Amino acid sequence: MKTTQTIFQDGDHKWVAIVRDPGRQDYLIDTNEYLVTHSGQGLLVDPGGLEIFPAVFSAVATEFDPSAIAAVFASHQDPDVISSLALWLEFNPQMRCYISWLWASFIPHFGGNASTFSAIPDEGAAISVGGLSLQAVPAHYLHSSGNFHLYDRTAKVFFSGDVGAALLPSEQQDLFVKDFSAHIRHAEGFHRRWMGSNEAKRQWCERISQLDIDILCPQHGALYQGKDVQRFIDWFDTLHVGVLRG
Amino acid sequence: MTEQLTVAAGIEPKGSALDLLHIVRINEEIKAVVAVAFKINIMALNAIFLAKRAGTAALGFGVLSNELRSFSGQLRETMLSLNGLIHASVGEVSVLLLDSRYSSIFSAAAALVPASARLRSVIERREARTAEYRAKLSVLRRSLRSSVEDAFRLVELGGVLAKSAKIEAAYGASFSVSLSQVSGEFDGIVEEIRGSLDTLRKSRFFRG
Repeated sequence: MKTTQTIFQDGDHKWVAIVRDPGRQDYLIDTNEYLVTHSGQGLLVDPGGLEIFPAVFSAVATEFDPSAIAAVFASHQDPDVISSLALWLEFNPQMRCYISWLWASFIPHFGGNASTFSAIPDEGAAISVGGLSLQAVPAHYLHSSGNFHLYDRTAKVFFSGDVGAALLPSEQQDLFVKDFSAHIRHAEGFHRRWMGSNEAKRQWCERISQLDIDILCPQHGALYQGKDVQRFIDWFDTLHVGVLRG
Repeated sequence: MTEQLTVAAGIEPKGSALDLLHIVRINEEIKAVVAVAFKINIMALNAIFLAKRAGTAALGFGVLSNELRSFSGQLRETMLSLNGLIHASVGEVSVLLLDSRYSSIFSAAAALVPASARLRSVIERREARTAEYRAKLSVLRRSLRSSVEDAFRLVELGGVLAKSAKIEAAYGASFSVSLSQVSGEFDGIVEEIRGSLDTLRKSRFFRG
């Protein structure tokens, strides 16, 4: 089963990271899921792949009533992000799925129908969770052509999807980055290969630098907090991406 | 035909996956029979012309050639009518395959969260639906089996026609050798189809 760690709490407003599954098969990439709760309602952020549904579901259930999850947010269309959708919808057919308009007719191949999807326009949109307003922030071409991140202005938490992801050795189980220089070596190859546009990356760095962020939460690997957030943005800004190797 | 299943090394298909492989084999055999039925039609047409050239000595052979031509048309139609059942069976088996995968994931989740009443109700709902899918597939299995039996009976009639044509060929006077050769080919092909359909009747899909 995955473990849950509360990374932000103010009354019933919470961000819970669902991380590190010791039972995960090695052939599946490790993923982080996040649960945002407010006023008794929940939003599951990048709910994960089909195969890890039991691990994510049980982890969520330790923190929150899964039937109170009103919606899922999918940063993009990848199977490790959203292929569990059919199972979540079977558990709660009223659940909505927020995703880029670009993928709104592709994702129903994983599950859902016309009433399931809230298509996010390219410029982004506000998403409400129990009265709390979150912002879907454009991150197109990082890496997907229709890609969004999620910002919680109140909690100062920024979910960054695949940006900031690191493929860590199995012995590195820390939730937060401890040593930025050592950590970023595990992120470099991933970002060079998976992030396809230097221009999109430049715009993203400018946009994100203007936000007040305490914790940056990627979909894979450790989370960045405090000064490591800006360190990461600066590092990413200078990295040449969209290359096969080197 | 031997019912051979091509599977990845070390992975034995079972349940619905095995059903799907059996259906694929049945479908391949049906396609082969349809192709041979068309061949009989052409052969019968040639036999009709040959009988006309042979004149009164091959009147009986001519009648049987006409019957064989009609038989090939009926056989082709019967085999093609199985396509709908095959298509429906593939649909039901595919649903069961996905259903079984999702059910096993839900069961794993329920084992980790046994207190979730809602999860239990999802599993109960799935079990009821799975039973419905299985019942539908069972009806399709019986219909397909019954249609294969009908085709088999038709081919037995074709066998009788081919053997009668062999006898009639003996009365073909100077055309006797040619007629015997044609009737021998008829008999061989009908036997080939008979063998294929006999294998289909014994498919393990019908034992499910």
